[in-house]
Amino acid sequence: MILYRGELHDDSELSGLLGRLESDCLAALAGEPLTPELVIAACDSLARDIAGGQFDHLLRPFLEAFSIPQSQLDAALGLFTRESLTRKLRLELGEDPESEDLPHPGFAPIRRRRYPLGVLLHIAAGNVDGLPAYSVVEGLLAGNINLLKLPSMDHGASLLLLHELGERQPRLKDFIYVFDVPSTDLASLSALAEVADGIVVWGGDEAVTAARRLAAPNTKLITWGHKLSFAYATSAATDGDLSALARHMCLTRQLLCSSCQGIFLDTEDMGAVEALGERFFTILQAENRRHPPADINLRARAALHLRTEELEAHASGRRILRGGGVSVTVAPDSRLELSWLGGNCWVKPLPREKLLAALKGQKGYLQTAGLLCAPEEREELTALLARAGLVRITEAGEMSRTLPGEAHDGDYPLRAYSRIVEMA
Amino acid sequence: MTNSNKLFRWRDPYDTGGTQALFAAAMEENARFQAENCPDYGRILREQGGSAPGDPAALPPIPTLYFKRHALFSLPERRLLIKATSSGTSGAMSRMAFDAGSLLRGLCMVWRMTRYHHLLSPVPCHYLILGYEPHRGNDTAFSKTGYGFTFFAPALSRTYALVWRDGDYQLDLEGLRRRLLRCARGPFPIRTIGFPAYTWLLLSQMEKEGIRLQMPRGSKITMGGGWKQFEGQKVEKAELYRLAESVLGIAEADCVEFFGAVEHPILYTTCPYHHFHVPVYSRVVIRDVDTLEPVPNGTPGLVNLMTPMVRSVPILSVMTDDIGILHDADTCGCGIHSPWLEILGRVGARGLVTCAAGAAEFLKGGEGR
Repeated sequence: MILYRGELHDDSELSGLLGRLESDCLAALAGEPLTPELVIAACDSLARDIAGGQFDHLLRPFLEAFSIPQSQLDAALGLFTRESLTRKLRLELGEDPESEDLPHPGFAPIRRRRYPLGVLLHIAAGNVDGLPAYSVVEGLLAGNINLLKLPSMDHGASLLLLHELGERQPRLKDFIYVFDVPSTDLASLSALAEVADGIVVWGGDEAVTAARRLAAPNTKLITWGHKLSFAYATSAATDGDLSALARHMCLTRQLLCSSCQGIFLDTEDMGAVEALGERFFTILQAENRRHPPADINLRARAALHLRTEELEAHASGRRILRGGGVSVTVAPDSRLELSWLGGNCWVKPLPREKLLAALKGQKGYLQTAGLLCAPEEREELTALLARAGLVRITEAGEMSRTLPGEAHDGDYPLRAYSRIVEMA
Repeated sequence: MTNSNKLFRWRDPYDTGGTQALFAAAMEENARFQAENCPDYGRILREQGGSAPGDPAALPPIPTLYFKRHALFSLPERRLLIKATSSGTSGAMSRMAFDAGSLLRGLCMVWRMTRYHHLLSPVPCHYLILGYEPHRGNDTAFSKTGYGFTFFAPALSRTYALVWRDGDYQLDLEGLRRRLLRCARGPFPIRTIGFPAYTWLLLSQMEKEGIRLQMPRGSKITMGGGWKQFEGQKVEKAELYRLAESVLGIAEADCVEFFGAVEHPILYTTCPYHHFHVPVYSRVVIRDVDTLEPVPNGTPGLVNLMTPMVRSVPILSVMTDDIGILHDADTCGCGIHSPWLEILGRVGARGLVTCAAGAAEFLKGGEGR
């Protein structure tokens, strides 16, 4: 299904619509600009109606089919409210450049104004339903025309949400275009990329690499790539901290950018690492019993790798603690690596003096560090982790929190989607 | 005669009940040989506290992943006659090699199995191989087994889907179609050999073009290699049998599927109800995905395959990348008295969504880190 200027079209009309896309975009650019207020009002009214149950007939079966908890829906809706979006605008864009001119001695002061980038192509990922729509809303807030390439695993939520926005505020219609083009249809994707001033890509290395190829040198590329997160613990980490961390791992099954893959312990002493591994293993086992089991394929895949690691342990020096559907691998190296997911993590030594060097190789992949330490060392370690490249340093159980107004992987999207124009 | 040789000459290839003790003894014999001749296997066996005589399931199951990372041989290189690599769906390949004794046992097995399933025939036939034309430098097991299968009945011709031209493999569907059209008018039966997905591709293409043929009596469609690489277009088996009947006039009972792996070179062959019964040469243990302990029949889990066939490599007990179920014999109804193995699919959770760096690739089957 295609959404084009507020109207739904069949996928078979793709080539016809692509043919007129550029002229339609130019017409919208020439027309009246979009104000954030229009976007905020439409989003707020939609979020209220969804919360009020107006879309339950569509939403309930969908939530059940993909076992999405109500809390997740509420959190998602929270991002679309007037309050959230207004705060987001304020935090991300800061003071209006029009409020202060740039002095130019001997000339009239230079006026400054924020403009949208123009046309944004969003290449969305399927990891969170509705996220593609949120990406478009961000583009709209900055005033852009938005072309959205739906992810292959999309279940229709984004199309529905964006169509509804247009129904609530018809002026938005000219700024929203949604295409269900497969990633393999390079001709159509190139046609979309050609119209765009900026390409926003969500996804793993593969998706980012593909987008780099798609973007002409004069097209701005904004990448929201996949990330890795971990916990950093000192000897002061409490059982309470470790329980909260275990709960976070079981809830996210370690599948998110912000999910903890393993624990680095601030020590060189392998004995201490072993002790923490054993301690955390007991806690993780207990916590896992409170959650529905992870996907069988995920568990099977982990089991094969763990078994292989066991056979290799004599040479690798790793020790695998396994049972109760979870595992903890005690490893002597200090490399940040992906875990076997689904409740299988690692524990490794990483003394704070070596932290910067150890994480250097993972540049661009670093996201959240859950910090488990004594209150008096928190300040120092937070600063150290920030210098190492982490962009969120949180409490143990808070690694995957989502708050309106939070930066995205260390960046403010609305800034990336707009430009400052200076005018004499 | 060694216990292994006795097992591979057993008259009834599905008499798993009558060969329990012999199988266990042959496994014990093989484990001892591997431990003495392959230091790495010896270590693995020691680490888990030695073998348990009479209980092959207690031998350490080694994941195929381990063979992809480590080359293990238990015989000197000069004794290794055939080298093969797995087709390596996800990049890494296992390196395997087979000695004369192992191959001889394999040959006995192939003879017993193909005779049992009426695949051996003195009537010459035309082979259509939906795979690679053999070529020096292509060591993947499929090109070898594919070629091997063309000896079950005398070959009048061999036509390949992937032909070696100008230093590269090229898909030649047109050549296959021409051959089929010609064979339909001739007296000799045909046999197709290939991945089910390729077979389906060819047949559905021909059906779209409105081709309806009646192949000579005795023609068969034989398939092996599973459905890997084609997860996206997984075809219902029933649809494939329908196509065989409608496009080539080959009855469902003449569609035979094989299953095997370089790491477990046992020829599993489907019964008339398209089930893979466990032959005497092999035993299957389905293991719990968390504890790796054996689970009762009817429960899905990781597939652990055992055979004492091979001496040159310690593949006596391997754990495949598949999730499967072992069903009791009587749930089939074909009359074979051994349980049957159902492969549900490769592990790897394609349906799961993730944004952890490298996780998607890992779940797809890569090593991920």
